[in-house]
Amino acid sequence: MLQIQFFSLIRMLLKRDAAEVAWTAGDTVQSVLQKTQQQIATPFLHKLVDEQGTPHAGTIILVNRKNILHLQGLQTPVADGDVLACFPPGAGG
Amino acid sequence: MSVTGADRYARQVLHWGGEKQRVIEQSCLLIAGVGGLGATVSQLLVRAGIGRLYLVDDGRLDWPDLNRQTLYGEKDIGRAKLPLARERLNQINASSEIIELPGRIDDAFRVPGDVAGVADCLDNYRSRFALYRAVPNGTCFVHGGLNGDHGQVLTLMAGTSQSFDEIFAGAVQPQGSIPVTPDNVVIIAGLMVNELFSVLWQTPKLLDRCLVVGLDDFNMAFLDI
Repeated sequence: MLQIQFFSLIRMLLKRDAAEVAWTAGDTVQSVLQKTQQQIATPFLHKLVDEQGTPHAGTIILVNRKNILHLQGLQTPVADGDVLACFPPGAGG
Repeated sequence: MSVTGADRYARQVLHWGGEKQRVIEQSCLLIAGVGGLGATVSQLLVRAGIGRLYLVDDGRLDWPDLNRQTLYGEKDIGRAKLPLARERLNQINASSEIIELPGRIDDAFRVPGDVAGVADCLDNYRSRFALYRAVPNGTCFVHGGLNGDHGQVLTLMAGTSQSFDEIFAGAVQPQGSIPVTPDNVVIIAGLMVNELFSVLWQTPKLLDRCLVVGLDDFNMAFLDI
């Protein structure tokens, strides 16, 4: 299984802290997020990526604590037991 | 009117004891930004008796600042925040030394060597990234940020933790003004000060652990970094 954690605006939108989806060989961050959206039946991908599939500036997606921008972006492979976190941080002060 | 430390700090020493109070009074922190977060963070540290604060800012007070920047008032509009902040903090507690570091934080910025911790009270990621790169190895960096009714506080130790740039890669400044209310900014600032005390006592609670606060429903969650 994979755990997907939701923080701040994503948690507020989905009204839940996390979801679990089954892992399948070949899964990537993108496929896992798509499976998650399908499973929880609430659209949220538009808050994370644009129509071209590029992560929105200002949204942080971590796989096992590592920002996917330092990995392979949305095509980052994920393994069974991985933890994904979706976190749009507050920028103001 | 003179007052002894025993009188001034009596109520907090009842809670955390004399040894922790001594550490606060002998410590030095750098506050980057004396706007929404920084005005309250610096004020609370001075009220607690911090020994020395370096303040960094390059802004002037404008009307939209007054809803949350707790050191300033209407007569201050148009004035540079840094000397104002020092003046007000001196009025609150003259025993805390306040040192101004004027200017914008960029890649040329250097954190003084005597600081025990750095508070990121900035309002933009470019300066935050430059600030983190200037933190000496082994020094704690306490980040705070907010937007509307959500915010976060995170502590990193330079040289040991994942770098701030790595974690927040891709985080860019939104277009236009960010919504910030007086109540929410003071809550995040208060959490930052609580963590800064823990840093001074060498027991940070949020080291490599981001506290994500949702004020719409009083939710607090940890994001391990």
